[in-house]
Amino acid sequence: MAMMPKRVKHRKSQRGTMKGNASRCNYVAFGEYGLQALEGSWVSAKNIEAGRVAATHFLHREGKVYIRIFPHKPVSSKPLETRMGKGKGEPDFWVARVRPGQVCFEIGGVVEDVAKQALLRVAHKMPIRCRFVKRRHSL
Amino acid sequence: MGKALVLKAEVREHTGSKHAVKVREDGRIPAIVYGHKQESVAISLDAHNFVEGLHHGHRLMDVQIGRKKEKTLVKDLQYDYLGKDIIHVDLMRVDVTETVKVTVPIDLRGTAKGTHESGIIEEHADRLEIECKVADIPETIVLWVKDIGVGDALHAGDVELPEGVKLASSPATLVVTCHLVAAAKTAEQVEEEMPVAPEVIGEGEKAEGEESTEGKE
Repeated sequence: MAMMPKRVKHRKSQRGTMKGNASRCNYVAFGEYGLQALEGSWVSAKNIEAGRVAATHFLHREGKVYIRIFPHKPVSSKPLETRMGKGKGEPDFWVARVRPGQVCFEIGGVVEDVAKQALLRVAHKMPIRCRFVKRRHSL
Repeated sequence: MGKALVLKAEVREHTGSKHAVKVREDGRIPAIVYGHKQESVAISLDAHNFVEGLHHGHRLMDVQIGRKKEKTLVKDLQYDYLGKDIIHVDLMRVDVTETVKVTVPIDLRGTAKGTHESGIIEEHADRLEIECKVADIPETIVLWVKDIGVGDALHAGDVELPEGVKLASSPATLVVTCHLVAAAKTAEQVEEEMPVAPEVIGEGEKAEGEESTEGKE
């Protein structure tokens, strides 16, 4: 079982829309290097967990990995071979809504080359195109 | 701070996002000059020259508006949603002898003692607000971290500032810490921590309420 909220107000949610670009969480805030989404998509809890495992495994207890997205949204589905109707399906998995520009993962405490390689491995686990970004120190 | 960069500016007659987009398409950056109780002027700067100047560490810029030359300080920059391109610049009129408040990036130097004890350096603040004369604004504040061991921390008050520079941000601001890295959680540990299904707020209370009403009947 991957990441999911501990408490929710409603078990199921509607699909919703994802308009525009990320207007916050679009810069590296905690670590030194980050992975920025270039597309908008739902990123499932499984994807996030796979990214976390890939990064921590590559870093060998060096540095720190920050996950900047959380799967707040439940996605429901109907069981196989079921006729349509009879109400909404049961929650199946959880997703994070990611808009273009969102920094999904960050790494600190390692040199740039290592961070780049680790984040490349994370990028391969993501369902979207991503780019490597550095923290902006000046204005 | 190095020598002031001279930039030729064009006055923008039309303002607003539609016109700003056109300005950007022409390879220029929309900007505004304000300060010294004079009227603000909407201008545009050549994007290539301005960005190159910034990369070379220039913060003080002489902007030539028509025949008038104004000494300005880059006060704020706005970036696009990816943080790649500059979309707007705020320039503040200044005198060289004037004292101003500016934020300056911190440059960490050296290898911390704690990193040899398998610790890592964590940077909590990457810039400091300082107060100094315009001519004395440093490009960066150099902070040596070689004496920091595991469990040590450096605050803004501990940072050695160049002559004529005063700290404007709180001296208690945490700048750098050195700590051991906690062992990464395995997939099984993460699984154990996560609930099977989230608790629905208000559903437990409802169930209790139903039970109590049934009892009364």
